[in-house]
Amino acid sequence: MSKIWIIIQREYITRVKRKSFIITTLLAPLGFFALISGSVLISTYSQGRTDVAIIDESGFFKNIPIPDADDQTVYFHRVDDKYEQLAAELPKEKKEEKKKYSAIIYIPVNFNINTPNNPVIAYRYVERPGMIKKQFINQRMNEAIDKLRMKMLNINDEVQQQMQNKTQIDFSSLDNQSEKKGYTEAAGIAGIVMGFAIYISLFFYGTMIMKGVMEEKTSRIVEVLTSSVKPFQLLMGKIIGVGAVGLTQFILWIILMFGVNIIAGIIFGVALNSHQPAIGYMQSNGMDAEDIQLVMKNLSSLPFTQIIIFFPLYFVGGFLLYGSLFAAVGAAMGEDGDQQSLMVPITVPIIISIFIAINVINNPDSALGFWGSIIPFTSPVVMSALLPFRPERWQIALSLFLLVGGFILTTYIAAKIYRMGILMYGKKITLKEIGRWIFART
Amino acid sequence: MISIERTTAILNFYFRSMYLLTLQHIVKQYGTYRASDDVSFEIPKGKIFGLLGPNGAGKTTLIRMITRILYPDAGSILFNGEQLTDKHTENIGYMPEERGLYKKMKVGEHLIYLGRLKGLSQTQAKENVNHWLKKFEIESWMNKNIEELSKGMSQKVQFIATVLHNPELLILDEPFSGLDPINSKLIEEEIHAMSKQGKTIIFSTHRMEQVEEICDEIVLVNKGKKILDGGVKELKQRFKENKFRISFAGEINNGLLNNLNVVEQNKGEVTVKFDEEHKGNSLLKLFVEHGMEVSSFNELLPSINEIFIRQVEAN
Repeated sequence: MSKIWIIIQREYITRVKRKSFIITTLLAPLGFFALISGSVLISTYSQGRTDVAIIDESGFFKNIPIPDADDQTVYFHRVDDKYEQLAAELPKEKKEEKKKYSAIIYIPVNFNINTPNNPVIAYRYVERPGMIKKQFINQRMNEAIDKLRMKMLNINDEVQQQMQNKTQIDFSSLDNQSEKKGYTEAAGIAGIVMGFAIYISLFFYGTMIMKGVMEEKTSRIVEVLTSSVKPFQLLMGKIIGVGAVGLTQFILWIILMFGVNIIAGIIFGVALNSHQPAIGYMQSNGMDAEDIQLVMKNLSSLPFTQIIIFFPLYFVGGFLLYGSLFAAVGAAMGEDGDQQSLMVPITVPIIISIFIAINVINNPDSALGFWGSIIPFTSPVVMSALLPFRPERWQIALSLFLLVGGFILTTYIAAKIYRMGILMYGKKITLKEIGRWIFART
Repeated sequence: MISIERTTAILNFYFRSMYLLTLQHIVKQYGTYRASDDVSFEIPKGKIFGLLGPNGAGKTTLIRMITRILYPDAGSILFNGEQLTDKHTENIGYMPEERGLYKKMKVGEHLIYLGRLKGLSQTQAKENVNHWLKKFEIESWMNKNIEELSKGMSQKVQFIATVLHNPELLILDEPFSGLDPINSKLIEEEIHAMSKQGKTIIFSTHRMEQVEEICDEIVLVNKGKKILDGGVKELKQRFKENKFRISFAGEINNGLLNNLNVVEQNKGEVTVKFDEEHKGNSLLKLFVEHGMEVSSFNELLPSINEIFIRQVEAN
């Protein structure tokens, strides 16, 4: 045990002292913020302003409002010019000097409300509109046509308002009356964030373990090490050491994020909103401001005690389970590390688990979710995504029990592969051979 | 009648006093390939012991079993008369043929780390590192990064790592491979010095000329099997072919020449094979009786290399 401790210390200290560790720890939060603000900036400024001239020869739309876009990307102007005249005025190429309008909506004189597609309303542009703009313009014109129809049917504004009132059904489970509106969305966001956190760290720190093992193998120090300590001690020391590095990095990131938030608040007078990515996500999924408010409010009613207790357990459990497997692959890899195929048996279940997790937040009570949260190879990611949905206690207990069992099993198998692999030089090792090692006596 | 316990006790005492290591019927198999096939030998305390064999003979496998990196499939290994266990690894220093160090560590912290893995305390490890760096006059390397070291420099560091914890048994696998002559000499001197202190040294090599200079006893393995073992001097006696080389003045007497089994003849020198009683004396007497003026007379003993090649070929 004391030797494992010595190994943990070395693995931890040499990594934490490295420049690359300091740089990634400092830069990741900055990169994260850059990503968010970048995406916000891009979505705001990438779409330039489009001024659309509406030539209504039919005269139907004279008193029908066609509002401009809220995000200041599209403006409508009613003009009395003739189409040919205006079209001649518009620049033919983008590069040319900006004219007043960059597109024309042309409603022909024989426009028929009953067959609005024949003759068609034409949109003629200089600069090709993006998908979002196209969609927006289509939607505005359809609304205008709807209003025109109502008007022709003599339906007044009040009735129109009433007709457009949508229904929101109040979803909540029978036994849990306290679950508020918007809770499922809040839980889904929290779940996917936690699932992804485990998913990414499994790959990131798993690769770190694998590289460490490969370094020991290629530098041949492993033979000296194994004459002093058992391969199992070496394996555990490395996994726990790298795990501690990961934990340190996570804690530092949390502290840094808070720090950046506070400093930004002091300097710029605005706190960077840590919910920004979530809001962005929801907006892109077509939720309106009111819904978002509701979800934000519900984040505070998540089962935090359960999350604080069990999320770290799944984090650690998943890390131990996969860490030993990554180490085994590192030991079996050739010195040039060119046998990527050996990675497949580890990467596939991790990728499957994130797919299950994405599915689970939409169907928290599905059979897929249940089994995904029970089977040790997927449970760290899937159960983390499920935690905000308050899974049954026995489900968590069974899942954790199996996770511990799975961890013991993979470590046992990995230790066997590791033992054989680290001392095997100059030979390509196949999966078949690894299979033989697992069942061989040592 | 002596009871079994008593016999065991006596045998244990015997092993304890004479042999540091005893290998009994060691078998190690990789798939269908036997890397060690019923190998038994003893390594006496305080001696420099040569483990010889061509490449792929199974030397490294034997060493790995002694260092507890591998376990034998059958047979047992005794260390000081006790069954070899993991606790004994702290009494063994092993310098493998393929050796390396962590590139991103400093010389000092690396040596301390390896020392601690061999059971030294932090302070003890530090003390020993200082002692050895001073001894090799390389104290200034303490804070150097391993990746800055030249090949020769890192070999010195590796040697220190092997002896740092003052082990009773030192195992050096091809210690001179890739070493420059200066470092070779330094390491050779250290080997002799450690031997004088009563350490037991296993010296594994396929280069025979070094064996005669350095080793007291050897074991020869080939294709996983032990071929022979014994003291270097004793083996030379055992495998000698009664060849003698005589130098003399003038021409050789033809009557004498007809009586001899000549292997090689040059001007003023003849090599003969002579199998009679009192070999050397009788042969010399024969020369003297024929009125020859003998200027030198040598018995030709086979080199370990010759014995090695002959034995490997015979097998």
